[in-house]
Formats: sequence, structure tokens, C-alpha cells
Amino acid sequence: MTELISRFMALPDVLSASPLFAIGLTLGAFFAGNWVFARLGKPLWMPPVLLSAVILSAVIAVFTIDYVRYQEGAHWLTLLLGPATVALGIPLYQQIHHIRALWVPIVVTLPLAATMAAVYAVVIAWAMGATPEVLASLAPKSVTAPIAIGITEQLGGSVALMMGGLLITGVVATLFVDLLAKWLPVEDERIIGFALGLNGHAIGTARAFEISHAAGAFSSLGMGLTGVFTALILPLVFRL
Amino acid sequence: MSMLRGFLILVVFFLLGEALRVLFVIPVSGGVLGMILMTFTLMLRGRVSDDLASASQALISVLVLLIMPGVVGIFFLASHFSGQWLAVSAALLLGTFLSVLTTLLLMKCMLRMTARGGADD
Repeated sequence: MTELISRFMALPDVLSASPLFAIGLTLGAFFAGNWVFARLGKPLWMPPVLLSAVILSAVIAVFTIDYVRYQEGAHWLTLLLGPATVALGIPLYQQIHHIRALWVPIVVTLPLAATMAAVYAVVIAWAMGATPEVLASLAPKSVTAPIAIGITEQLGGSVALMMGGLLITGVVATLFVDLLAKWLPVEDERIIGFALGLNGHAIGTARAFEISHAAGAFSSLGMGLTGVFTALILPLVFRL
Repeated sequence: MSMLRGFLILVVFFLLGEALRVLFVIPVSGGVLGMILMTFTLMLRGRVSDDLASASQALISVLVLLIMPGVVGIFFLASHFSGQWLAVSAALLLGTFLSVLTTLLLMKCMLRMTARGGADD
């Protein structure tokens, strides 16, 4: 009997050695986060990814799960980000006809606005004394997560800090677009959608699809082009 | 089976992107290079196969799950960046406000200009 108890006590250690433990934990938190999100009435300022991450962190902290071991196991999941990034090329291709219809405004706005999205943040943080590691983590803040992870790794920033910045940027970009569109005013749903995707990546795009299908299409386009453009330009600029 | 075939295509494009990155020392991740290759290939072919469509939809719909382990890290390194949170918050809030303003104004001006000058379009 005492042997059974001692084996039972060792169980958490044995189970958590398998990557499947980390994967199960992540999946469980993912569904829990989505459930809470639906229960709260799908609030814009609290995206499901943030809810799921808070739940997951709480479980890791409460049960004193080894964080490094968790990340090693979860690596089996994050590996899929590579092919998932490639998969983003398919919706991008499906939006190509929008570029053909409005290519002049897009070709002029995109490089300028996507560059400024990174420059404003980096200059403000630099002026306030942030370290190079923090600057490298903030630079891709308007880029969709799978691409931004690749950029931050190339620049030598912290993926965790970047992900936090990304979430906050997505949420506040959505609020600012709503606010400024009323104030300027901008009524064209294509412009609003484009601004949502360019600045607020996937979180902005989720909001754009609530406005209209056209806004959503332009938001996906803005998100995709910003991701590609920033991924190509930032590493070159940071090298200098 | 169809989804797995599509997944194989995605993995092959990712590996092609990685190969390009290593061969030409490009400072861009293999995933992004693979995505660009994918977009151009589709533009040349002019259509998306069902295999590829189902695999990409499946992966994109679970993107949140894939980025969660990265997000969790933020709660475990708060002390590592102590003293810099004010700079980070200012950069995120003010920076995003300015970049949203820039995008809206630029797009508005450009659309107005092309609407006026594009009568011969």
C-alpha cells in the first residue's frame, strides 16, 4: 500500500516528462479560454488568446509545473508555426484582386505606414531608455504573431515580451481605429479595414469582419502585406 | 488524407524557405520566405487545390493554440524587464495611436487623389 502511494506521489513527475503533458495542458487552456470568452459575451478588449494564456499561466504557477520543461514539451506545438506561416500565403493570394483594384493607394500607404508602426514604437521606447533587447521585441508589434515570432528571433529580441506587446497593440489599435475613424472622419470601410489589419494584425482583422466582409478582406490584406513587408525590411534595418 | 497531402505541400514550402534562408544568408525566417514562395506559386497557377485549402484552413484556425506557449512566457519574465515597463507601455500606446492616425490619413488622402486623377482608368 505504501508502495502504491509512493508511486502515486511520483506520478506528476513521470507524466510531466512527456511532451504530451505540455500539449494537453495547452489544449485544455485553449478550450477553457474560448469557453470563458464566449461566456463574457466575446469582449473586444479581451481576446481569447489572452484569456487562454492567463489560465495556462495560472495552472503552471499553482501546480508549480517546471516552466522550462513545459516550454520544451510545448515546442512540439510551436513547431507547427512554420507551416502555419506558409499557410497564410493562401488567404493572401485570395485577396490579390483587391490589390489590383486599389493598387496605387495600397502601394503608397503600406510601406510608409508599416515602417512608421515600427519606428514610432522603437523611437519612443529608445528615448525612454529601453535596452536593445526590448527594442527588438517591440519592433514587430503590428505584425501577425507567426511572422512576428520569426522576426524577433532574427533580431535577437524576447519572444515572450514581443507576444505581450503584440496583444496590447492589437487591442488598442482596434479601439484607436474606431475612435479616430469617427473623429477624422473616415467612413470608407475599405480604409477602416486596411488600418485595422495593418496596425492590429489578427485582433484588428477579427474586428474588421464584424464591420463588414469588405472591411475584413481589406484587413486580411493589410495584415498579410504588413507581415511580409516588415519581415523583409526590419532585419535589414536592424543590421545597420 | 486530403488535409495531410496539403500539409505535406506546406511543409515542403517551409523547408524550401529554410533552404533559401541558409543558402543566401537571408535575415528572414524560413516560414515567411515559404509564404512568399507559396503566394507567387499560387499566382502563377491561378488556383488553390482542395488539399492545400483544407490544410491551410485547419492550421490557420488553430493559430491561437500555436502562439499560446509564447504568450505564457510574458508572465514568467516580468522581473527580467523591470524598470522598462513605462517605456514599453508608452511605446505601445502612443506608438499605436500615431501609426493608426498615419494609416487612416494616408489612405484617405491617397484614395481621394486616385479618385480624382483616376478618371481615365
